[in-house]
Amino acid sequence: MIDPRLDVIDRRLEPVGRIIPVSSAKGGVGKSVCAALLAQSFARQGYRTGLLDLDFQGASAHLLLDIELEFPEEESGIKPLRTGNLDFMSFAAFSREHAVPLRGSAVSQAMLELMAITIWDPLEILLIDMPPGIGDEIFDVLRYLRDPEFLVVTTPSSLVRHVVERLLAMLSELRVSMSGVIENMVRSDTDTQTAELASRYGTTVLGSIPFVEGIEDLLAAASRGKTLPDKLANAVRSVSARIASAGASANGLSSG
Amino acid sequence: MHEWALADAVIATVERIYEENGRKRVLSVQVLIGELQHIEMEVFSTGLQDLLAERPFSFDVFHFETDKASFRCNACGSEWLLDEHTELGEEELEAIHFLPEAAHVYMRCPECGSPDFVLLKGRGVTIKSVELSDD
Repeated sequence: MIDPRLDVIDRRLEPVGRIIPVSSAKGGVGKSVCAALLAQSFARQGYRTGLLDLDFQGASAHLLLDIELEFPEEESGIKPLRTGNLDFMSFAAFSREHAVPLRGSAVSQAMLELMAITIWDPLEILLIDMPPGIGDEIFDVLRYLRDPEFLVVTTPSSLVRHVVERLLAMLSELRVSMSGVIENMVRSDTDTQTAELASRYGTTVLGSIPFVEGIEDLLAAASRGKTLPDKLANAVRSVSARIASAGASANGLSSG
Repeated sequence: MHEWALADAVIATVERIYEENGRKRVLSVQVLIGELQHIEMEVFSTGLQDLLAERPFSFDVFHFETDKASFRCNACGSEWLLDEHTELGEEELEAIHFLPEAAHVYMRCPECGSPDFVLLKGRGVTIKSVELSDD
């Protein structure tokens, strides 16, 4: 048996500039929040931005960005849902708010199908909200998507840092490109341990996102036109600027 | 019409095999159509025919075979066929049509009600064989 989907994934991603999976080895560190904050920030700065939610079992990016789920439009494939400068695709468009009880092989099948039938318009950056851990989705991204630049999310928690180090070690062992590390939920910025951790694996800290009570609601409200608190907005802008400038030198990411 | 994306994938695979094998003439392509995905064959065939323009093989070489979908429950071991599962509504079928793994969201084992089952066969579009000429 031959799986024909494998022969079109590269072509489907031809209009896409940089592919940045937002990952962490540990759950609950705010990967989805970071992915959504960055997607919103890039889109607002005028970059043609995509966000693909590959966290099938815990899909939440649509909730964070206040995106109303509907079946995607069909046009020689399926079109991502569009809101302003942001194109969005998620399993949740098909599962809505139901549980998604998938075993590993079904996760891989679903990802391949989404990659093979989604017709992306030209994007400068595609962020991928990855599920926690080092499992099927990470291996499938490494196997099927060209040149992913992993962005790893950690927090100041020593436990989280400990577990995140395993992901950094694996990415480093596999010589995977890393766009950097984000330290999320930061209450004070005197800590240097995350910088030391990133440096051990040949990457850098892109910045810190402060701990903000009710950040999910603020993010959803920002999608409806409200502004984020200055401290949060400045932190996100700073991280997105560092990602953009790395891309501008390496991949020709241009300001929108 | 996302059948077009799948037709495009089938052609891309046949084209790759054709190129990798010294551009030998394509005699036949056996395509399995998994029942679970509810592919609209008329749309899929039209997509293939339109996308085949100016390709080194024609629609005549394609042969289609339906692959019945069957499932096995990991919890109780029972097996069943898709057509024994009649309670799916239009919206659920539409979701499965786009993304067959949505079956795990909307279907349950008819014996024990578990969502923990595997699809044994009949998922979507696969290529069973590509036959090339010897000359």
